[in-house]
Amino acid sequence: MKNLRKYLMIGLAAATLSTTGLPAWADQVLNIAHPALEQSWSPLQGGGHVARWQSLWWAAPMYFDKDGKLTSYVLSSATHDDSFQNWTLTIDPKAVFSDGSKITAEDVVGTWNLCARPATKHARVNLFLGDVEGFNDVIVGKAKDMTGLSIASDGTISVKLSTPDPIFDQKIATALIPPVKVSQAVDENGAEKGDWWRPENGVVVSGPFMPESMDLDQGIVTMVPNPNFFGPKPKLEKVVITTVSDPITATLMLKRGEMDAATELITPTIIQDLGADFLGGPALAKGQQFWFDLSKPPMDDINVRKALTMSVNSQELAIAAFPEGPFTAATQILNKVPGVDPDFPKYPFDPEAAKAALAASKYKDAGHLPKIMFVGISTPTHEAAAQYIAEQWRKILGIQGTEMKPAIETYSGPDQKSVQVFRDDVGTRVPDAVSYLMGSIHSGSGNAMNKMGGYKNEEVDKLLEEASAKGVEDPDRIGFAQKAQRAFREDWMYIPYYYDVMSKWAMPWVQNFDKNDDWQVIEPWNVTIDEENRP
Amino acid sequence: MGRYVISRLVRWIPSVFILLLLVYALVYFGAGDPIKLIFLQAPGDVAYDPARVEAIREAAGLNRPFLVQFWDYILNVAQGNFGNSLVSGRSVNSMVAAALPVTLKIGLAAILIVSLVGILLGVIAALNQNKWLDNLIVGFALIIWGIPVFVAGPLIIVFMVLVLNLNVPYGWAGLFDVKVIVPLLVLGLNPMALIIRQARAGVLEVLSEDYVRTARAKGIPNYQVVMRHIMRPVLTPVVSQIGLLVIATLNNSILIEKVFGLPGLGRMTETAIKSSDYPVILAIVLIFSIVVMASNLLVDISYPLLDPRAAAKKTEDE
Amino acid sequence: MSDQAIPLQQEEKQFSLAKDAFIRLVANRLAIVGMVLVAFLFFVAIFGPYLTPYDFLSQDLMARNQAPSWQHWFGTDDLGRDIMSRVIYGSRTAVVVGFSTVSFSLIIGLFMGALGGYFGGKVDAFVVWLIDITMSIPSLLLVIVINVSLKPPLVNWMDAQFLATGNEFYRNTIWVDFVLVFGSLALIKWPKAARIIRGQILSIRNKNYVLAAEALGVPTSKIVRRYVIPNAIGPIIVYISAALGEAMVLESSFSFLGVGVRPPIPSWGNMISDGLRIWQLYPHVLAAPAAVLAIVTIAFSFLGDGLNDALNPRQWK
Repeated sequence: MKNLRKYLMIGLAAATLSTTGLPAWADQVLNIAHPALEQSWSPLQGGGHVARWQSLWWAAPMYFDKDGKLTSYVLSSATHDDSFQNWTLTIDPKAVFSDGSKITAEDVVGTWNLCARPATKHARVNLFLGDVEGFNDVIVGKAKDMTGLSIASDGTISVKLSTPDPIFDQKIATALIPPVKVSQAVDENGAEKGDWWRPENGVVVSGPFMPESMDLDQGIVTMVPNPNFFGPKPKLEKVVITTVSDPITATLMLKRGEMDAATELITPTIIQDLGADFLGGPALAKGQQFWFDLSKPPMDDINVRKALTMSVNSQELAIAAFPEGPFTAATQILNKVPGVDPDFPKYPFDPEAAKAALAASKYKDAGHLPKIMFVGISTPTHEAAAQYIAEQWRKILGIQGTEMKPAIETYSGPDQKSVQVFRDDVGTRVPDAVSYLMGSIHSGSGNAMNKMGGYKNEEVDKLLEEASAKGVEDPDRIGFAQKAQRAFREDWMYIPYYYDVMSKWAMPWVQNFDKNDDWQVIEPWNVTIDEENRP
Repeated sequence: MGRYVISRLVRWIPSVFILLLLVYALVYFGAGDPIKLIFLQAPGDVAYDPARVEAIREAAGLNRPFLVQFWDYILNVAQGNFGNSLVSGRSVNSMVAAALPVTLKIGLAAILIVSLVGILLGVIAALNQNKWLDNLIVGFALIIWGIPVFVAGPLIIVFMVLVLNLNVPYGWAGLFDVKVIVPLLVLGLNPMALIIRQARAGVLEVLSEDYVRTARAKGIPNYQVVMRHIMRPVLTPVVSQIGLLVIATLNNSILIEKVFGLPGLGRMTETAIKSSDYPVILAIVLIFSIVVMASNLLVDISYPLLDPRAAAKKTEDE
Repeated sequence: MSDQAIPLQQEEKQFSLAKDAFIRLVANRLAIVGMVLVAFLFFVAIFGPYLTPYDFLSQDLMARNQAPSWQHWFGTDDLGRDIMSRVIYGSRTAVVVGFSTVSFSLIIGLFMGALGGYFGGKVDAFVVWLIDITMSIPSLLLVIVINVSLKPPLVNWMDAQFLATGNEFYRNTIWVDFVLVFGSLALIKWPKAARIIRGQILSIRNKNYVLAAEALGVPTSKIVRRYVIPNAIGPIIVYISAALGEAMVLESSFSFLGVGVRPPIPSWGNMISDGLRIWQLYPHVLAAPAAVLAIVTIAFSFLGDGLNDALNPRQWK
C-alpha cells in the first residue's frame, strides 16, 4: 500500500510537470489573477474590475502622478477663464493611437459624448463630465451630444460648464474616460459598437500596451507593448490577465510565483498568506462606513441612531474585519485630502449612553424596533464586521434578528421598508475636501439620496455649496468643508468603519506598481519584474 | 423505437416551455433588475440616477410588458437565438457555444471513468464480500459520499500544491491535458460512491442466484463467471443510474468549475445569477434540461438492449 | 363476516412483517450505528442549544481562531465564537431543513402519487408528465434561481406587514431563508415519493383481494388503510431516511454558493464555507463542521441501507 501510494504520487507529479511544464514565465511577463470572468472589456464602462487595467492600454486625458501632481497625457493643457465656466483643452500633438494616427479633437469629444449616452452604461461619467452643459439631456437619452463640448480648432476643444468649477481639469484626469478612436467605437446610430474593443476587430489603442488576444470564454487577455506609444517605452514584454475567481486558488498561485499580481483579492488571512507588502500602499481618499437610511424605521429616530453608533467600539470593529491591518479605523468622513479635520470629535463607545439613548427614543426598547437589515455585506471581511456590530447591538441593546445581505439592489427600492444600514465607501478622485463631501453628505449626492434615504441638512448643503465656488487656494474652501462635516456629525448618520489604502495587490518582485484611486497602475511603462526574487 | 423517441420529444416541448416561463417570471419579478444592479452594486461613488436607468431600460426593450418580452424571447429561442447578455451585451449563443463543450466533455469523461472504476470497485468488493478489500472499498465509498465536492476540491488542490509541490491545476487546455485529471476526479467523487454501491449490491444479488452458484461450484474460474453471468445483470441497475449521474455531475460543475478555472457552464451560471442576467440564466436552464432529458432518453433506449425482462416489466408498470 | 376476516388476517400479517423487519434491522450492525448517530443528532438538535457551553453568537475578539482546547473543544472561529456551540446549533438548522423538506415533499408526493394511481387515465398521464419534468430539471440551478429571486419580494412583504400590523411574527425574516430552502428543495424532491405511492396503488389495484373488497363495498378509505399504506410504508421510510441526508448536504451546497441560510444563524454549510477561506492557517475551523456533516451523511446512508434491507427483503438479498 505504501509503495503504491509512492508510485502514484511520483507518477502524478511527473505527468503534471511534463505537460504543464513551467508556467509561462518569460523574463518580463506580468501575470495577473483576475477575480471575475468578464464578458466585456469595453473601456467605456467606467468601472468594474476591467477598468482597473485600463491604464495599461488607454491613455487618460490627464493623470495624477504618484506624488499627486496633475500631469499632462493626451491633453497637454487645460486652461480656464475667470468664471471657471469656460475651459480650453489642448491635445498633445504627439498623441497617437497604436496605428500611428493622431488622437483628434473629434475623438475626444466623440468619446465623451458616447460615454454620456445611456446605452453605453458608463457607471461614473457624471463624476467627470456632469457639469458640462447639456450633459443632463444626453444622460437620459433626450439628446445625443453635449452642447457644452465643441471643437475650437484642430487639436483644441472648448468646454462650457453649466456651473463654475475650478477643478474641472482634475476631474477629467482619469483613465475612465479615455479618448478612443470614435470611428471604431460608434455605430451610425451613435451607440457603442459591440465588441469593437477586441483585437480581432483591429482595435487601436492609445496606452503603453495593446491587446494581443482576448479569450473571453476562458477569461485570458494578453497585452504586448504598443510600438507607437507616444510616451516612454514600456519595460514589460507582456501582460497576461487570467481569470482566477477562487480566492484560495489565486492565493496559492501568487505564493508560488505562477501569478505576480491580482486585480483584487480579499481574504481574512491575506497578510499571513502573502505578507503585508502584498497589500501595502499609501492611504486613499476613500473611506468605508455603515450608513443609516433615515427614511426607514427605526432610523428615523436620531436617538436610535445614537444608540446604535455608541454601542460599537471602533477599535474592535477594525479587529473583527482586518485583524492584521493594513487599514485603519475611521472616525470622520474625510481622509487623506487636504482639509482632514485634525480635532474632529469622534463618536464615543459608551454602552450606558447607548442604552439611555434607546430608552429616550420613541421605540423605548429593542422589542419595539423593526428588524434591522444590513446590505453591501459582499466580502468575508465585511461580513465579519457586520456580525460584530450585530453582536454588540444584541449584547448592549438587546436587538435580535439582525440580517445581512450581499447585494444592494433588490432590497433598496423606495417601496421597501427594511434595509436600514448600507456598508459602502465614499471618496474622491481629486485631492479636494469639498468634492469629497459633495459626493457623500450633500443632499444632491447619490450617497445621501440612496444610501441615507434622502438625507438633507440645510446647513451642510449651504456650507458645501459656498465652499465649492471658492478657488482652490482660498482657505475658506477647506474651512467651510470642515464646518459642514461637523454639522453632519450631529445627525449621527453613520458608523465609522475604516479608511482604504491603495492596495497594491502585487507580490514584492513587481516594481513601480503604484496605483491611483481607481486601482489603476499610474505609470504602466515603468513597471518591471525583479526576477531575482521571484520564486 | 423511432416513434417512441418522437413521442417523448413531443411531450417534452410543452414542459420546456413551462420551465422557461417559470424561470423567466422568477427572474423577471424577483431577482432584480440587471441594469440597476450595474449601478447599485458598484462602489459608492457611482451615482444611481433613476431617469438614466429608465433610459437604458427603454433602449434595451426592458420596459415592455412581461408577456410581450417573454413571447419575443420564446420566438427568438425557437429560431435558435438566445439573445444578448444584458450586462455585457455579448451574444449568449457565442458564450454558450464556447462553454457547453467544456462542461460536456469533462462531464462525460467523468461519468465514463467514474462508471468504469466504480463498477470495477463494486465487483471487486462484492467478490471479496466482508473481507478487508471489501471493507476498504466500502469505506472509501462512504468517505467520498460524505465529503461535499466543494470541500474536496480545495482540499485536493492545497494538498497537491503545498504537500506535493506541484503547480496549481488551473485552467483548461483541452480534455487530454493533465490539468484535467484533478477536476475530473473531484467531479466524479460523489457519483462514484453511488456506482460502487449499486454495482456491489447488484453482484451480491446475482451471486446468490442458483445458476451462478452452480457455475462456481463447477469450478469455473471466478473471472469467467463474472464476465459470463454477472456483468450483464449488474450493468442494468448501473445504467438506470445514469440520469442521476448526469444531474449530479451538472450540479457539481456549478460548485467546482470556479475552483479549477474551467470555462464551462457552471462558472457562467454563477456570474449570471449574481448579476441576474436573465438571457444567460435561461439559456443555461434550457441547456441543462436538454442534457438531462437526452440522457434519460438514452437510458430508456438502452434499457431493453441490456435487459429485455426489465424493459418489459417497466412498460407494464407504466 | 367475510369482510371482517380479510382485515384481521391482514393485520396479523402486518404485525409479523413489522416484527421481522425490526429483527432484521437490529441484526444489522451498521444500521444500528447509523440509527444511534441519527438519534443522537435529533437529541442534540432538540436539547443541544440548552446544553452548549457558550452562546453560539457571543464573540470574543481576543480569542479568535483558537485551536481546540479544554475551554473550546472544537476551537473558536474568526470572531472568537465557540465552534462546538455553533456546530450544535447548526444541527438544529440541519434537522429543521431536513425535516421540513422531507415533510413537504412527502405531502406533495403522496398527494400527486395517490391522484395518479387512483384516478388513472388522463390524470395519471398528467402526473407522470409532471414527474418527468421535475426529474429533468437541473435541481441545483433551479433551487438557486428560486432562492435568489423569491427572497427579496418575500422579505419586503413581511417587513411591510410588520410595519402595518406590528405583528411580531413578521419581524424576524430569517425564517424566510429556511422556508425558501426547504420549499424549493421539496419542489424538486417530491417525484420520488409520488412514484412510490403511485406504483404501490397501481400494483394492488388489480389484485384479486382488493377487487373483492371493492366488490363487497368496503369503503375506499379502508382499502387505502388496509392495503395501500402497509405496502407503501417500507419504501417510504427508506425514502425519508435518504431524503433527510440529502437535504442536509444540499443545504450546505446552497450556503457555499451564498444562497441558503445566512449568518449569523449557524448552519454547517455556512460554517464550512467560512472555514474554507481560512483553513490553511486554521484547519480546525473547517474540520469540525465538515466532519460532522460527513458523519451525519454516512449515518443516514447506513440507516437507509439497513432499513432497505429490513423492509424490502425481496429487493436486496
